[in-house]
Amino acid sequence: MEKMDLVIASSSITEAGIGCWDLDSGAEQLRYKSSASTQHGLTCVGQRFIASAQLREPSATSGSVLYWSWSKPQAAVKSFPSEPIKPFVSNSVGTYVVGGGQSGDIYLWEVESGRLIKKWHAHYRAVTCLVFSKDDSLLISGSEDGCVRVWSLIMVCNDYESQRASHLYEYSLTEHTLRVTDIVIGHGGYNAIIISASEDRTCKVWSLSHGKLLRNIVFPSVIDAIVLDPGENVFYAGSRDGNIYIAALNAESSSSSSYGKHILSSLYDHSKAVTCLAYSIEGNLLLSGSEDGMVRIWDPRTLNIVRMFKHGKGPVNNILVVRRPNHLTLGAFSNSHASSRRQCSLLPPPLEKYVNMDEDANKTTVVRLATACNIPPDAPYYSSHIMDEHIKQVEQQGSSAANEMEVERLKLENRKTMHMVEQWKKMYDKVHEFCVNELLNGDEVGSTN
Amino acid sequence: MPRSKASSKKQQKQQKQRGVDFKKIKRKLGRKLPPAKNATDTEIKSKAIVLPEQSVASEKAGLALSKKGLTLKELLQQTSHHNAKVRKDALLGIKDLFQRYPAELRLHRYVVIEKLRERISDNDRVVRETLFQLLKTLVFPACKEDNQGPFVSLMMAYIFNAMTHLAFDVRLMAFKFCDLVVQYYPPSFSLYAEKILQNYEDILRQNQCYLQDKGKLKSALAGLVRCLLLLPCNKRNIESCEKNFTGQRILHAFEPDVPTESAGFSLIIKKPKDLVPVLVNCFQEFIPLVHSMLLLDAQSFDCMHYILQCIDLAVGFVIYGIRQGKPALHGGPDVAVWDQTISSVLLKRFFNVFPLNATHNLSEKFDDRFFILNIVIAQIFLHYSEWICPPAVLLEKFLEFIEVALLGKICSDTRSGKAVWEKHVLSLLPFIPKLVRQVSSDWKSRLLQAFTKTFEDCSLDSSLKLACLSAIEEMLVPTDEMVCPDSSDPLFEHQIIWIRALPVFLILLDDKHPSSSQVVLHLLLRLGQRACVNSSFAWEYDNIQYSLCKFYGSCQEEGGICYGPFIRLPRDSQELSVCGLYYFSYLDQLSLNSIACCCLCPELEPFVLFRIIEVLHSSFNNGHIQIADHISFFVTLLSRFKVFPENIYPVVENDVKISNRGTFKLLTNAVCSCLSQMGDDSLVFQLLEKVILDQLLSKPPLDNACAMLRMLVMLDSKPTRLSEQSIITLSKYLSGYLIDVGHCIPEDDDDTTESALIQTCYYFFLPCFFLFDRSHKLLKLALNMMGSLITESTTSPLSQNYIQYAMDRSNRINAIVSTLLLMHKDAKVKTIISLFKVEMVNILQIIHSLQSSEEANMNIEERHKIQCAYDQLKIITGVLRNELPAI
Repeated sequence: MEKMDLVIASSSITEAGIGCWDLDSGAEQLRYKSSASTQHGLTCVGQRFIASAQLREPSATSGSVLYWSWSKPQAAVKSFPSEPIKPFVSNSVGTYVVGGGQSGDIYLWEVESGRLIKKWHAHYRAVTCLVFSKDDSLLISGSEDGCVRVWSLIMVCNDYESQRASHLYEYSLTEHTLRVTDIVIGHGGYNAIIISASEDRTCKVWSLSHGKLLRNIVFPSVIDAIVLDPGENVFYAGSRDGNIYIAALNAESSSSSSYGKHILSSLYDHSKAVTCLAYSIEGNLLLSGSEDGMVRIWDPRTLNIVRMFKHGKGPVNNILVVRRPNHLTLGAFSNSHASSRRQCSLLPPPLEKYVNMDEDANKTTVVRLATACNIPPDAPYYSSHIMDEHIKQVEQQGSSAANEMEVERLKLENRKTMHMVEQWKKMYDKVHEFCVNELLNGDEVGSTN
Repeated sequence: MPRSKASSKKQQKQQKQRGVDFKKIKRKLGRKLPPAKNATDTEIKSKAIVLPEQSVASEKAGLALSKKGLTLKELLQQTSHHNAKVRKDALLGIKDLFQRYPAELRLHRYVVIEKLRERISDNDRVVRETLFQLLKTLVFPACKEDNQGPFVSLMMAYIFNAMTHLAFDVRLMAFKFCDLVVQYYPPSFSLYAEKILQNYEDILRQNQCYLQDKGKLKSALAGLVRCLLLLPCNKRNIESCEKNFTGQRILHAFEPDVPTESAGFSLIIKKPKDLVPVLVNCFQEFIPLVHSMLLLDAQSFDCMHYILQCIDLAVGFVIYGIRQGKPALHGGPDVAVWDQTISSVLLKRFFNVFPLNATHNLSEKFDDRFFILNIVIAQIFLHYSEWICPPAVLLEKFLEFIEVALLGKICSDTRSGKAVWEKHVLSLLPFIPKLVRQVSSDWKSRLLQAFTKTFEDCSLDSSLKLACLSAIEEMLVPTDEMVCPDSSDPLFEHQIIWIRALPVFLILLDDKHPSSSQVVLHLLLRLGQRACVNSSFAWEYDNIQYSLCKFYGSCQEEGGICYGPFIRLPRDSQELSVCGLYYFSYLDQLSLNSIACCCLCPELEPFVLFRIIEVLHSSFNNGHIQIADHISFFVTLLSRFKVFPENIYPVVENDVKISNRGTFKLLTNAVCSCLSQMGDDSLVFQLLEKVILDQLLSKPPLDNACAMLRMLVMLDSKPTRLSEQSIITLSKYLSGYLIDVGHCIPEDDDDTTESALIQTCYYFFLPCFFLFDRSHKLLKLALNMMGSLITESTTSPLSQNYIQYAMDRSNRINAIVSTLLLMHKDAKVKTIISLFKVEMVNILQIIHSLQSSEEANMNIEERHKIQCAYDQLKIITGVLRNELPAI
């Protein structure tokens, strides 16, 4: 089976851009230019395109979010939200994107239309990281004020309920004393665990169902990135001293390791500070990005490095592992102009700056298609008013799709007729042969008689 | 007599009749007739036969006995004896027995309880008292740890029975027993709550009894207070939640499927409601007493106090129940019910007795008593007003009281009066934040003023201060529901006062009350985290740093350092205060200065030192610290850090107590990694170059110099970024530095410790090697300088050299040579140094000429040393010549 994972890494300095490698072969793919991503500011929206929030000058009043289509190195769509956006994520199917602002506000956009659905004041200080739960219903945000909050998107978008309740969030977890640097959430729906890392040198494990602290792990240095092992037996914590610590999640470790309680061992490669981590489930590999501009790929079983990608001079600050989109099959990368152009034209419009108030009330409902298991990965999800528009288009002028369908139908008819002709021909031949045989036999019989 | 006569006659007759046949045989007394020859031996011989003894007395051997020699079984039987004295003695005997044989109790506890419980409703007072003592001192403590469920159920049936006994005494005593059970096994209350409360209600209804036996009533009421305390109320629930987290060992554990305590309580919500009017009635019985009697005696006071406490707890629970049941609805049928049943009672009959005042002019002690009662009434009122807005007149009355109470005007000025005040005002404080939010702005400012006065007046370590702090936290730290008040709000003015008072308070606390310091630091951290950017709060918070300078430590004019309490606090508090630094929107030189002072304190734990560096660097990354300030902070750390011992003994490096060189190395690494993350290396280098050179020229100790050189090397690149001028300056310094380090290299390196010493020296040389590699000119200049230093006299004050250790001439030559030897050993440096043949030969010549010219002035030892050095140097220069014959 062909391995399909791509590694995408971004940097905080503009020259390095966004690098893209094939995880299996190590071949570098297209490099997307002019991006200075923020920490946690890189996302792949439903595998359709790459989006990244951009670092801004401290004086800048507006933020910047760029989109790249898979096939072109230049940024295709630029949006300028009303304030600098730091973390930027999309949900797993790519219908919504969420950004966290410098002032502590969180913005929720719909991808297809670029509409700003909701903006709310979430934290007292800048939002530092955002994570969707596995089923996309909850959003977990971490902030510079050391607070981790769990938001239910249903609650956030429900104006009536949210006005009545005393607070919007489901939980506000305030045990950290310094900036929250990273958050991950485990599997298991309502019973999942949340792990948050902070500059106070601790990682805290929370229960999502109770909203309370389960475990506090003190590390020898500040942890900037964490990632969960797929089995949730351990988690990996990339620290500023260059180590990647492995911390236990299961039972209490009996042996007291030299690093501290619950910490089993560490991965070390004389690198500078580890800034980001990712895990490839398909290859069972751990990926780490470092301050020195390298992406290291580890085998978590042997704790050895299996591969290294050189990203650039600046520090790597985001790594994503994504499945290769279907149209980007290996080898066909360069000569798939036609399809890529089509993809390019599919990029959604830029994100809106402000919440549009005079929207029709009934248009705000979002229609979700029933999720079957074998949905094509780039099947777009539309909200009702986009569908309305499409329908209107079809009604008024007849779209190309309709034409295509007509052609398709005609082709099919053609094929059928051709088939029929073939059959007639065959039958004619047979009859002919039969007649000839009959005649000849008759002659023979006649002659013998 | 006649009979004897007759018998004697008979004898005579017989004697007469005795003939030959009956010949008398004379026998001698005391002799036994030998047995006849044909006699049959009828004697039976056997071994001892053991029959099981059946006597009652001997049964007791091996059994536990009381002093009087009775077994447990006997004693238990005697407890139901018809004589009261015997029963009492039996109980005493049991007590005695268990004291001697504690194991007996554990074995037979169910049997014992089954028998003893019958005595709960005993008619005799003494027997009940004895039983109570027995249960309290022995039986309950012994059964505390094991499963008490069946145990309690055995007891409870009889206790309830006794509670409905005809004799009033027995009933009161039953409450005492009930209290005992609840005390030892609190969950039992939730099981029997309804019944227990019902019984309390019944007994309190019989109001004719109170006044007779206040002592008993008091103990029963104390039991009721204890029971009601077990009812869930907001505060306690939070506490229990916090207790739950005590280091869970497994993350994904199944939770035991036990119904939680509070689930049961929702059913009994009606009971405390019913209790309130009864208690109010009971309380009013006492009112005429208060007015009529000259003195409020201790027992009636205690009773009244308990009654009030019960009302308070019951009201608190009812409100809690309403809140639980209807979290969102503020008004509804439930509240209406509550309104009817209790509200009217409280309003019409209870609150109008407030304030209780002595009719006669009494002594201070009684004044305090009334004050305590009033405080509790106020507490009940505040509970009540959280749900139903009371009439304005009443509110006014209470607010006035609260204000006066906070100001401490009521209580007597004596020491005991002050203590009473502190203890009881405490219970009002948790209500203040809510009250402040509710009342009109006029009252708001009056209340806040009184509160602030309380906060300022109470002593440092009192629990009142802590309660004030938590109230302040509630009013000060912004939450989602509370927006920052504008400047017209009286709250705002007081908030500023509090913010300014906190650091002062922190410094006053010193390290005497670490827990209070922790609370204050936590409050400050929260404030920093939540202060809205650019608000006046943030401005005030930033200003705190100036007051905090004293907390960290400050440099005196005379060079002495005055350390603040920070150094002496426990580590968690230190961490909290360090975290607080992150949230200042700017940190200026003054505060950085005092923090640096702290960092240089030898008593500071290395862990905290590294935390400070980490946090400050994060703060710098967020733009809160100017780059120049940040760099000078680092340079100060590395140049002023006192490494001890000053001599380089590598062996002891790992031992923190003897040497902190290891810590200093880690510090150097930490600073270097911070510098490398600062951004453009060349820009940082430019900023650093001048500062470091200035520092080096002031001849710091070798360790600090080495650290600074490392810093320079770390930011430098190949070819060097050093300017011409600084290369010249640096070469001068380096020549001295190299000689000093070379001075430490041992003469012969066969010992293991000495090879370790060489390792250490190598650590000092390494930054120089890097510099030489990047700038060959620097090496050339340094070699020349070294050559000229040989002849230069050390004593002349005019000479400008940077040697600190190798003062003696022969030592100096030795040091130079061993330095060169070491450089020669390193493969990479060897290739560089081989380019500077001429300078090497020059040094050789200088030594040679010195040997010949000053031979007369030197003693033999010195001469030998120089000769050795000369030979060694000759060898390596010779090697060089062989390798590079072209020169």
